[in-house]
Amino acid sequence: MRLPCPHCGTRDVQEFTYLGDANVKRPGADEMSEAAMTRYVYERDNPAGRQREYWHHSSGCHAWIVVTRDTRTHRIESAEPAKPLVQS
Amino acid sequence: MADPSLKTKWSRHSAWADILTASPSDAARPCGVNVVAREGLGVAGIQAQRGRKAALSALVKMRYGLELPTTPRAVRDAAHAFVWAGPGQWLLVAEQKESFAELSELAAVSDQSDGRAALRLSGPNVRDMLAKGCMIDLHPAAFPSGAAAMTSIAHIGVHLWRVDEQPYDRPAIFDILVARSMAASFWSWASASAAEYN
Amino acid sequence: MANATQPFRLPQIGLVDRNAPLTFRFDGQALSGFRGDTLASALLANGARLIGRSFKYHRPRGLLTAGPEEPNGLVELRTGARREPNTRATVAELYDGLEATSQNRWPSLGFDLLSINALFAPALMAGFYYKTFMWPASFWERLYEPAIRRAAGLGRAANAEDPDTYEKAFAFCDILVIGGGPAGLSAALAAGRAGARVILCDDDFALGGRLLSERREIDGLPASQWLARTIAELESFPDIRVMRRTTIFGVYDHGVYGALERVADHVMAPAPHQPRQRAWRIVAKRAILAAGAIERPTVFGGNDTPGVMLAGAVRTYVNRFGVAPGREAAIFTAGDDGWNTARDLAAAGVKIVAVVDSREQVDPNLRTLCEGFGAPLYAGASVFGASGGKSLRRLAIREANGSVRTLACDLLTVSNGWNPTIHLASHQGHRPVWNAAIHAFVAGDLPDGMRVAGSAAGRFSLREALLDGAQLGAEAAQDCGLATKQSAPAPATDPEAVAVAPVSRVAGSRGKAFVDYQNDVTDRDIELAAQEGFRSVEHLKRYTTLGMATDQGKTSNLAGLAIMAELTGKTIAETGVTMFRPPYAPVAIGALAGHHRGQDFRPVRLAPTHQWSKELGAVFVESGLWRRAQYYPQPGENDWLTTVNRETLAVRGGVGVCDVSTLGKIDIQGADALTLLERVYINNWSNLPIGKARYGVMLREDGFVMDDGTASRLGETHFLMTTTTANAVKIMQHLEFCLQVLWPTLDVQIASVSEQWAQMAIAGPRSRDLLRAVIDEEHDISDDAFPYLAARMVSVGGGVEARLFRVSFSGERAYELAVPAGYGDALARALMAAGRPFGVTPYGLEAMGVMRIEKGHVAGGELNGQTTARDLGLARMMSGRKDFIGRVMAGRPALVEPDRPILAGFKPVDRAQRLRAGAHFLGLGRSADLDNDEGYMTSVAYSPNLGHWIGLGLIKRGAERIGERVRAYDPVRNGDVEVEICNALFLDVEGARLRG
Repeated sequence: MRLPCPHCGTRDVQEFTYLGDANVKRPGADEMSEAAMTRYVYERDNPAGRQREYWHHSSGCHAWIVVTRDTRTHRIESAEPAKPLVQS
Repeated sequence: MADPSLKTKWSRHSAWADILTASPSDAARPCGVNVVAREGLGVAGIQAQRGRKAALSALVKMRYGLELPTTPRAVRDAAHAFVWAGPGQWLLVAEQKESFAELSELAAVSDQSDGRAALRLSGPNVRDMLAKGCMIDLHPAAFPSGAAAMTSIAHIGVHLWRVDEQPYDRPAIFDILVARSMAASFWSWASASAAEYN
Repeated sequence: MANATQPFRLPQIGLVDRNAPLTFRFDGQALSGFRGDTLASALLANGARLIGRSFKYHRPRGLLTAGPEEPNGLVELRTGARREPNTRATVAELYDGLEATSQNRWPSLGFDLLSINALFAPALMAGFYYKTFMWPASFWERLYEPAIRRAAGLGRAANAEDPDTYEKAFAFCDILVIGGGPAGLSAALAAGRAGARVILCDDDFALGGRLLSERREIDGLPASQWLARTIAELESFPDIRVMRRTTIFGVYDHGVYGALERVADHVMAPAPHQPRQRAWRIVAKRAILAAGAIERPTVFGGNDTPGVMLAGAVRTYVNRFGVAPGREAAIFTAGDDGWNTARDLAAAGVKIVAVVDSREQVDPNLRTLCEGFGAPLYAGASVFGASGGKSLRRLAIREANGSVRTLACDLLTVSNGWNPTIHLASHQGHRPVWNAAIHAFVAGDLPDGMRVAGSAAGRFSLREALLDGAQLGAEAAQDCGLATKQSAPAPATDPEAVAVAPVSRVAGSRGKAFVDYQNDVTDRDIELAAQEGFRSVEHLKRYTTLGMATDQGKTSNLAGLAIMAELTGKTIAETGVTMFRPPYAPVAIGALAGHHRGQDFRPVRLAPTHQWSKELGAVFVESGLWRRAQYYPQPGENDWLTTVNRETLAVRGGVGVCDVSTLGKIDIQGADALTLLERVYINNWSNLPIGKARYGVMLREDGFVMDDGTASRLGETHFLMTTTTANAVKIMQHLEFCLQVLWPTLDVQIASVSEQWAQMAIAGPRSRDLLRAVIDEEHDISDDAFPYLAARMVSVGGGVEARLFRVSFSGERAYELAVPAGYGDALARALMAAGRPFGVTPYGLEAMGVMRIEKGHVAGGELNGQTTARDLGLARMMSGRKDFIGRVMAGRPALVEPDRPILAGFKPVDRAQRLRAGAHFLGLGRSADLDNDEGYMTSVAYSPNLGHWIGLGLIKRGAERIGERVRAYDPVRNGDVEVEICNALFLDVEGARLRG
């Protein structure tokens, strides 16, 4: 597989580390509870098809990226930086 | 940080000490790959503080006369190179160790001068040799002069960039940095990979 | 046509270099051939027909094909450490001194005792493994399997280490052309002329594909001229890489192709510094599959008799290699193509004894051709039996009217049409589709970016191959954004006829009729599978092992499916086909490993003091990627424990030094640096003053401990975090996740400085005295100025910048001193020189481990991903005033359950007994079963200070059970020791030594 790092260009999958589902969101302080954390830590969809997932470009720029991939075909729809592009 | 070697009697060990052995030169037979260890460099990791990227860029422009690259490129003159090292991050490589203190107003600066082992690779077979471990395309159409990349070679993380201004069809010259602790393993791969051309 | 040493070599035909004779050995016999031969062609030139014995029945076998699809001609190539089994003689390029040995024969090829298997054949029918050996199960391992393996071996691997080297390599191109036949060459040419970066791979050592085997004309000239011109032009383009002897073996996602280049398989031994083989990973934007086609055998009795060969292969031997595979040939064909073989054989002077065309209607022109041979034509007839044992002698022919006749000959050429070579097109999971018009499977949906040209697309004529190649090559270039010029008119070719009416099997055969030669699967086996209900293609394959040999059924799959279709009354399309998976052809593991074997199996990290440790005679141990000094034996110390005891006592009694550079070091800066620490560690950091270090513990989000270490505050917004050696990379990645994903608005910059700093631990009651001699005078390191947990910049050796931390893993007064890595060696030597008066002792990982266990400090054994802070007795560190990663989940009922195993210390009741890590705790008198399991020992050491073994372990309600005795049960090493539970702090409970 090859993944398009939004910073470095397309690279061999060997350069990346997989984390998983990028749709889960860590509960904020006001919504923090065991139930919410259980959902965040453990509950995952397992779609046959489009999935947004976190990858770390660990042998490259060290950016965490969100890849949208079809789990059946490995076709990559998009890859974007996980860190929102804050004004600098 | 001034260079402490000016005062101390302690000897500073090259990252390539006990590793890189000069090959017997055979003038009659040109080498396919030439390797030069780059010693005594000043290397620093630079990361702009939040919201200070533009200011940092301006400071670098003023102080070094170089434009901080925002894509994977190396921008250099005879004394310094600023090499892209991730979003908002650069590696400053100075031919000689020097103070980078003035950048710390706007950026987190971490000295890496001793943490990196540097080589300059050239020769007609340099791309053939690198292709034995480098998973990115170094053809001049894909990796022109000034291009830089962080990648891994033979499972060893590297930072490499093209330093020559050669025409399209001439052999390229690459600078490459590896972690000091991996220098011996990198050399094991590099020397084995270059052997058939030398 | 006889030649003294190569009686079957044809004069003046073929592409072998008659000026380059080569000698080689087959089963010890010296033979000769020419450069340009394969082992197969050279064997045939010498009249060798029997090449090996079959896998199951040990039937005599000869060559069936002339290419990579060969099922029979497997030999052991080379000798000694280079011996390689199961190499196909048809693709082994002949070199001077080649040695080959036949396989599966005992004691000799001609006289094989195990061919008695053939007499007991019914016992070895399809499914025999499953049926015969089901009961009793224990017989399988002890009796049946070894016996079957001996009888059914596929050659012998070398026992010695492979003396050759292998490489991996990576290549990139716009267009990958797979196959160097007419379609591939014209594709590469069209793409190259458009300026594309092209890689053209062919597994043969000569480009040309079928053009090398056929007597064809292009533009009115012999095809060889077109070939030479085309290759010359291709090789003139700087951005076209032509790779001969290179097989594309796999197609992977996103345009990645695996290729094996046989760099030095065609020479006796690789040139100095040259690899034997190179495994390429090729990344291509577009690919053109021009892999040609594989000829289909016909299933009839005795079709495996040496001397029965595929018609196209016979043309290859005659036209390319100048070898006559026999002297009296019969032709058995189901189409026009078999007639080409008759014509070429006749032209080479081989006698045609008969043409058997299974079609009733044969083109009158072909009939005329037969008259020219002076041979009878049997139209609408079939060969139903071939016999002769080790070499073909007789054929049994059934004529159209049903009458049977026998015919003497020594060569039968079989032509039954061709199957497109589409394996690579289905590697991504795309099923081939049936094309009734050509009676073959063709590629269905294709991998992204791939197109199929020529014979591989079922367009079998030379004209179509050239047209397809030119068109697809130009289109691929356009897809890559390159403009193509007005294409030149396609070259003209001589007329060709490709009609075929395939025969899947000959009814009423005499003798065994083989479908899969390599796995000895016959048409009867397929009948049996159908009869027993194994009718789906997947079941058929597994029940009969059809297509599961090393050739992956390249010549057999279709015949098997056709027979199953016939038996079940379905069409072949309905019957379906199994999927092809990588690799297309066998790939040596060595080639996939490349450089990474032995010492280079994976990269090794060396500490800045490695050379110094080496000079001191250190024994090194692998710790993750690091090589760390384990202990430093002195002369006369004959076992590691003596050394480690000495080192431990020296530290506790005086001073010792140890490299701890391998710890992860992360520089943390920025306005929100403190906030980050508060969120990733369980304990408080806000009150940490500048110039101080603090121990911290991190959890994973699921509440388990991830790592521990110290962080030091170097400035208001500047911290230095240390991690364990093992987790250095993981923690960096974790912090990057925190900063980029969880809290992207924090103003924090992190950088790994692990490589920049060499760090030495200086431990023991005399450590400050030693440091005083190394640290520059202006720095006050008195206990008032530099108390426990102080952390400050200092300098050493007259101005070398350094960082000093007063932290202790050993429980002694101790410091860690960091200098830029280039000075690590100098620091170690300076410490040794300055420490001589104090008896300074270098110590390794082992002594460090002893001392931390004596102090009950947790390390890898306890930080194993299954322990909570509470389990480790660190619950009180958890701040209740802030949120941190893992806080909520650490409070889950299961993680605060009172019965959880908790950290405790352990001593053997009989102090002379040794403890073992990994031993499980059982109540005294309890039986060793899971219900009684109370926990396990995580770390043990011999404490020279206490004079007995000590251990740390996790045991249910450990903290409440001090003084209780349990069994430490270790069945793996026959250990069963009664131990006493104690405080996990064995030494200096008050911590007096720590503060001096």
